[in-house]
Amino acid sequence: MQIAITLSDNKGLESTLSPIFGRCPFFMFIDPETKEFIIEENASQSASGGAGIQAAQQIIDKKAAAVISGRLGPKAHSVLLAASIPAFKSEGGSVEETLEAYKQKKLTSLIEPNADAHSGERNA
Amino acid sequence: MIITVASGKGGTGKTTIATNLARTIAQKGEGENQHPIWLIDCDVEEPNSALFIHPVFEEEKNVERLFPIVDQDACIGCGKCVDVCAYNALALVADKILFFKELCHYCGSCALSCPEDAIQEKAETIGVLQRGKSDALNFAHGTLEIGFSSATPVIRDLKKWIIADDTPNGDTYILDASPGTACPVVESLKGADFALLVTEPTPFGLHDLALVWELIDKEFQIPTGIVINKSGRGDEIIENFSTEKDVPILMRIPLSRDIAEAYSKGDLLVDAYPQYKDAFIDLYKKIEEITSERQREQ
Repeated sequence: MQIAITLSDNKGLESTLSPIFGRCPFFMFIDPETKEFIIEENASQSASGGAGIQAAQQIIDKKAAAVISGRLGPKAHSVLLAASIPAFKSEGGSVEETLEAYKQKKLTSLIEPNADAHSGERNA
Repeated sequence: MIITVASGKGGTGKTTIATNLARTIAQKGEGENQHPIWLIDCDVEEPNSALFIHPVFEEEKNVERLFPIVDQDACIGCGKCVDVCAYNALALVADKILFFKELCHYCGSCALSCPEDAIQEKAETIGVLQRGKSDALNFAHGTLEIGFSSATPVIRDLKKWIIADDTPNGDTYILDASPGTACPVVESLKGADFALLVTEPTPFGLHDLALVWELIDKEFQIPTGIVINKSGRGDEIIENFSTEKDVPILMRIPLSRDIAEAYSKGDLLVDAYPQYKDAFIDLYKKIEEITSERQREQ
């Protein structure tokens, strides 16, 4: 089982979690137990519109079981919801810390979107 | 002749210039069997010229575009429509298509790409156009419907409705554009013979004037002139720009409480202070001279 984490940089397990979803630079797909991972560029980070939707599509196509990010806008949220992929909020920090918090079920579940549409454009 | 009034920055006085210019030249030629004078408010997100012109509308027309409707039972979940959508308006989730209408640019690619004919298209009204008269002045504007975000197609249809392709040279169209330099402004500048840039003598006014000038210089290369509104303090920064870019300053309207009060009551400047009529007639003459000079050069 792999989960997706939004990243600000590409430094393997030393990478920093990205607070934004649709326009984050990288996605990590990682097995929380074995810590086997791959990092992919977010293909829609500079899309003129609909970045959140396509980012969610990328995660769905990878068959990730969950998503961890800082913020999630309404459109990306509805796509992940339709795919029954749960999303969790992390305040930031390293991949290791985030994974640990995820395994101990300390992350807040994003049952509702917690960002406005287009907020990633301003805060990228 | 098509004159587009633009500014970059909002609130500099585009509508003041467009409405007063249109009213003045329509009044001047009244009874002289002149070619029609049109004022077209292209700021379809917030059209406000009508508040000053008080037109009587005679005709109305809907702006329609085709949006996709996916038959989820016929859909095989191949994802071709998602791949071809340039605007990321579609997603494929659990063999179902999710559609985000606000991102759709109604290009029809999804319906064309569907191997199962599972996508039908349905016309929806995205805006309404109106045209009519106010004394000797012809007037038209468009209004983007609530819930739709793309102003450009409404402006495109508005211009097509009013400005006939075989326009005789004598007809005059004054287009009041929206602020900014994005697609709606580009659409309002397409086909224009002259760009009239309204600015205010502030760093913000100058900054956005430079942006809209750059757009015109790069994409249109049409004759351009500047109007300084709220003039009187700090005009030098606009004068320097005018000299540097060789764009003439054609008119100045002083910063005045009286003018602002007339505006706030919905009065036209030339109605409240008729002495400004000559200034607007002079402005129009200068625009005519500059455009005909350019035509001779070509």
